[in-house]
Amino acid sequence: MSSPTTPAPAVRPGLADGLTPASAPVHGQATAPVPGRPPAGAAALNPVTFEVIRNRLVAIAEEMRIALQSVSGSPTVTEASDFFTGLFRPDGSVVSMGFQVSFQAPVSGTVIRHINGSPIHTVRDGDMFIGNDPFIGALHQNDVQMLGPIFAGDRIVAWAGVQAHQTDVGGMDFASWCPKAKNVFQEGIRIPCVKLIDRGELREDVLEMITTASRLPDALGLDIRAFIATINVARERVGDLVQRYGPDLLEQVMLRMMDSSEARVRARLRELPDGVYRGVDFLEHDGHTNALYKIAVEITKRGDALTLDFSGSSPQAPGFVNATRAGLMGGACGGLLTTLAWDIQWNEGVLRTATVVAPDGLICTAQFPAPVGSATVETIWVVSNATMLALNRMLASSPRYRHRAQTISDGCMATFNLGGINQFGEPFGLHLMDPLAAGSGAWATKDGVDAGGPITSPVPGVADVERNEQVSPLFYLYRRLASDTGGAGKYRGGLSAEVALTLGGIERAEALIMTHGAEVPNTMGLGGGWPGSTVVQRMARNAMVDGREQPHPAWERFGPKPGLMEMTARDIFWVTWQGGGGWGDPLQRDPQQVAADLRRGIITAHVASVIYGVITRDGELSVRETERLRQSLLKQRVGEFTTDPARFLTAHPFASLSECLFVARDARGLHVVSSAGCILASGHSRWREGAVAKVWEKLPPEYNIRLHEHLALTTWYCPASGVLLSVDVHRRGERAPDDLIVDLAELERLANGQPPI
Amino acid sequence: MGFFIGTDVGGTFTDLWVSASDGQTQVFKSPTTADVLSGVIDAMQLAADAWQLEFNAFCAQIERFGHGTTVGLNALLTGNAAKTAVLTTRGFADTLEIGRLRRQTAGMNETEYTDAYLRNRFAPLVGRALVVEIDERIDVNGRIITPLDEPQARAALRALAAQGVEALAICTLWSTLNPQHEQRLRELALEEMPGVFVSLSHDISPAVGEYARMSTTAANAALGPLAGRYLQRLESQLRNAGMQVPVLMMTCSGGVLPTAVLTDRPAYALFSGPAGGVMGTLAIGEQIGLRNLLTTDIGGTSFDVGVIADGKPIMRSEIALAGADIRVHSIDVDSIGAGGGSIAAVEFGELKVGPRSAGANPGPACYGRGGLLPTATDADLVLGVLDADYFIGGRMRLDRDAAARAIEDYVARPLGMGLIEAAWGIREVLDSRMADLLRRMTVERGYDPRDFALFANGGAGPSHAWVLAAELGLDRFIVPAAATAVSAFGTGNSDLGFTTESPAYVRVRPGALPSEAQLERVSGALATAVRDVQRNLELAAARGRLEIERSVSIRFRGQTHHLDVPLHGDRFDAAAFRAATERFERDYEQLFGRGAAFSRAGYELLSVRAAGTGALPPPAQATRGEPPRAAGSRQVVFRDPAAPVQTAIWRAVFPAAGSVIDGPAVIEFPGQSVVVPPGARASADEFGNLHVDLRGAQ
Repeated sequence: MSSPTTPAPAVRPGLADGLTPASAPVHGQATAPVPGRPPAGAAALNPVTFEVIRNRLVAIAEEMRIALQSVSGSPTVTEASDFFTGLFRPDGSVVSMGFQVSFQAPVSGTVIRHINGSPIHTVRDGDMFIGNDPFIGALHQNDVQMLGPIFAGDRIVAWAGVQAHQTDVGGMDFASWCPKAKNVFQEGIRIPCVKLIDRGELREDVLEMITTASRLPDALGLDIRAFIATINVARERVGDLVQRYGPDLLEQVMLRMMDSSEARVRARLRELPDGVYRGVDFLEHDGHTNALYKIAVEITKRGDALTLDFSGSSPQAPGFVNATRAGLMGGACGGLLTTLAWDIQWNEGVLRTATVVAPDGLICTAQFPAPVGSATVETIWVVSNATMLALNRMLASSPRYRHRAQTISDGCMATFNLGGINQFGEPFGLHLMDPLAAGSGAWATKDGVDAGGPITSPVPGVADVERNEQVSPLFYLYRRLASDTGGAGKYRGGLSAEVALTLGGIERAEALIMTHGAEVPNTMGLGGGWPGSTVVQRMARNAMVDGREQPHPAWERFGPKPGLMEMTARDIFWVTWQGGGGWGDPLQRDPQQVAADLRRGIITAHVASVIYGVITRDGELSVRETERLRQSLLKQRVGEFTTDPARFLTAHPFASLSECLFVARDARGLHVVSSAGCILASGHSRWREGAVAKVWEKLPPEYNIRLHEHLALTTWYCPASGVLLSVDVHRRGERAPDDLIVDLAELERLANGQPPI
Repeated sequence: MGFFIGTDVGGTFTDLWVSASDGQTQVFKSPTTADVLSGVIDAMQLAADAWQLEFNAFCAQIERFGHGTTVGLNALLTGNAAKTAVLTTRGFADTLEIGRLRRQTAGMNETEYTDAYLRNRFAPLVGRALVVEIDERIDVNGRIITPLDEPQARAALRALAAQGVEALAICTLWSTLNPQHEQRLRELALEEMPGVFVSLSHDISPAVGEYARMSTTAANAALGPLAGRYLQRLESQLRNAGMQVPVLMMTCSGGVLPTAVLTDRPAYALFSGPAGGVMGTLAIGEQIGLRNLLTTDIGGTSFDVGVIADGKPIMRSEIALAGADIRVHSIDVDSIGAGGGSIAAVEFGELKVGPRSAGANPGPACYGRGGLLPTATDADLVLGVLDADYFIGGRMRLDRDAAARAIEDYVARPLGMGLIEAAWGIREVLDSRMADLLRRMTVERGYDPRDFALFANGGAGPSHAWVLAAELGLDRFIVPAAATAVSAFGTGNSDLGFTTESPAYVRVRPGALPSEAQLERVSGALATAVRDVQRNLELAAARGRLEIERSVSIRFRGQTHHLDVPLHGDRFDAAAFRAATERFERDYEQLFGRGAAFSRAGYELLSVRAAGTGALPPPAQATRGEPPRAAGSRQVVFRDPAAPVQTAIWRAVFPAAGSVIDGPAVIEFPGQSVVVPPGARASADEFGNLHVDLRGAQ
């Protein structure tokens, strides 16, 4: 993501992000290449040689991943892919990366730039640096990273970077997530950027200092060895390329790789309608109090460039949920890569198409010494939710890409950490990865994946129950899909999984239980689809006898962040995560599909009738009853249907903005109309002014959505048909902002195949 | 006369390799048929005709019949397997649905991972409606926590019987440590559902990790009725025709097994085609005294690579099929979407080749079947590597103009290149992707590719091999006599083999030794695995000496990846533990570099494995070949598109021992063209294999 090199009105000087190197304008934004032709300045590079070396550089990032995963001892690495391997240019721009957590893409580059600009660092062949300081370049302190320069003679041709989440790096509480922390000093060791390997020699004293800070020194030591092996792999492989092709050609290829990705994203942006697209998401509880925080992004798309403005977000929090600017860039990057560059090689070129604006001191640009220990699963996760929400609104308004607009997947990563002495008598720390098995968001054309997890992690995974029970002191009662958790819609959000477990092989341990999204629906739907369920965390004390669950355990339902507590082998912890968001009005879901969902047991009959308006008899759809019920539910939503002829328009729409929102022209001008042909707005896209609103401060139980005391939800209906147009979540007493502002005349020009003005 | 036969049923062709005791070796191909069986019979008829024998007379003289087929795999992929239900522990019915989150990304290639829209290509092997939870639970120590609720299980089984379920997979948690509940459930199932095909997870896939174990068991059950019927029909038809020997099926791990052993465990033969290819290469290596082999196969859509190090194929413990993790000890064959049909395209001024393929229909532009897009085969034709009039031995004419037009329109002009330059560019991009896979399969495992001999199989393998060999720094490559039917050759040349594992989890602190009880546990697991191997090989009627290799899976404490290291002897004592961990650290450092081993972490032993082989008499290997004959010359491009080289063309079916051809040359076989670059020399050995020495190549 670039700094504002061209004047952009949204940018306030000094506030915009400045993470991109000064060299960025060279591969500038103004001269975007024409599709089908090589980008300007690349004439000298033979396209065949380019492709051969590019494939190699992409393969090397994957080879680094394999090396890391093979050696690492962190379940976050080996199972959940919460790590990063990549190759960087000497200026810190990322050239190629493995298929891992996309939040990490820009982070190591920041550290390279830190080294480049630091008077105390000299970089020599064979060096490797280690760091984890979120105020320099890390998402949070657990994300330890190492970087090694790759030399050709006395010239640095590239950097290899590797990072992985470490279960414990010290701090007040085990696992280094400290709900009561008031500043970053309480959250574990901060390594700014230290040379761990000096010209090939491991500095054992420095390594000892670092591992000593951890409650799990051996695990950290094993991972640091994995990092070294990973960078060695990169050095060898890139070294071979240098030898064969020379450093100059390699440099040209790296530059062109980024130009190539940039050109592809810009070409895609030119196909999308200009406009302003907004995404708002919230998180609750900062570790001290159950306060509500907002992450708001306003994405302005003009031509082939994006501006992401986070100025509307809450000020920084007194607790560990904050993110530094490095985290903001990571979260925004996760949204951009997955939503706009799904078929484009991920590198800095993609990020160059976007400028990020955010003043200092927000929850996503927290200032030193703010605590940021849980940034990845709190603010960064929500930044990526909001970014994806806004970008998918943009896709939804494009005829070319509408089919692949997606609602929000897996809106949080609920935490269950366990520490103490394990069944083998060893100190242990466990970071449960099962919460990745939340629901994925529905698409504009199909249901979300059940237990599909986040899409910001391209290849997510969770461990087998047996493997977890083998190495950790856990005993599972179940791991299963949780019915009625997928966001309702014409296309249903994916179901979340849920687990119940107790301790196995030990009597007691210390548990850390926390999440956001217990009182905030983060998996927002689109086009009238509902959000998925909110997280439910519960504990039943003394409910296990002789290893078996007693009938009718007494469940205590927790709030979002009950925090640290003791857990015994007689207690059961049961947690259900967020289902994926739905797409479109549930009353428009194919009733046969609803009947099939019912037969599969993934929705209940109550939900089928109350939310989907579907009646079945003996598992078979009752067509007539369903039709009648759906009609009456539609009417209930708005009272009487509008019949005023002045509000109707018969002209055929030329564009759509969402599932049931269209744009059409008649003699009076341009209008946003509903699928029933009812005019909602004329001359502009703020269609909510013509829709019927219903505000909910508490939802009926069948939605499985709990709302924070400061949150409300508004449903918007077509006055002429009762069709659900949008479900908005916002602060009580406020209204959700208009989520898309597009120039209707420009949409018309686009639809007519005319070039944008 | 005696015949040794190997057969392999592929998607398009059924290959048959015959070695007769008169010293003749031949390969036959017949189109694969929908029922599979008649394609096999058709191919055998071709062979009988070649020896001018009646079908029955031919069958009566068969001394060995090896067989490989993808019939099971196809059934799984097309959902044509038996109606199958799963019984599992209460609380875990969604194991296949959740699929460790991996099911949704299964089958995606390296260019697809970043696109979440493409996820969830495969449904669970068994849907939710047919997975039944049973009240029972065993814990990590094999202790029964919740006893099996038999009345509930019987009721569930009766309900399944009423739904017409034909096969049952039983997979309960920790059955690998305590199989009582699974065994009892089988008894109940046979009582309540007579005739149902039952697979038990601890028997089919005795490994810790319920997702892969349940997938494997479900796949096995789903295939059971179908595979049983097919094998029975094949066996009885051949027997009725007079064949005296059993049908030996190729398994994933490379050994063959009689159908009697496999009818209960068809999952073991799911991946037989690629395994046959590697075993064929191994057999040739043994003939000519090579133990480090890289086996490559370039077909229309994919490039497959297997590695044989020190006479043993590199194995893997799991394969991904139809979206599921199948845990069956298998020969590791990796593949990428790169082959003759790979499509070349220019986007944003960049040349991409594959993984998109034109397949066989419409196929490359030069096939003239309506394909307009340029492919690697089109490039080979334009470069002079292929002869338009002698493709598949002249059975198909290629349209060079169409190839040239496609490359001109879609590659040369958009890139501002000449036709030949563009065609060579397609080759370069494709070949470098293949070389990347070869590197991944060797360098990343700590092997130096220069210690290996490259074997070129498949239709397009022998024309690309000289470039791949050069990319890896090898000084020669070998084109086996059976290069177009190497899987069939492998099925006819493999020994009996059965592999199984047994879990034994032992955790050892740094510097400590396992306790007596722990050592005992490992010894016990080893005995179980060895017994299982012996029992099955005896069932396979192995005669003579059985060789059983033992190994143990070890990792550093806290890791998830492990290495298998060999064990010697049946007793696992302190000395065996020390030897195993020393070997582990040595192998580990070979893989991940000196200093990577971290013995301070301590160790975990996970399981032991026993792999048994029973030798079978080898086929007659003397061959009668003919010297290749000259067939003129043409211009062929070698590296420099601006300077095509006038190249001698030779034709051969089975080159006689001692035949030597100097490059530049193209040696055209009925199904492939061997490219010998300038300065290189090809010579045939006594088995009809062609060795191309690249040392003199420019």
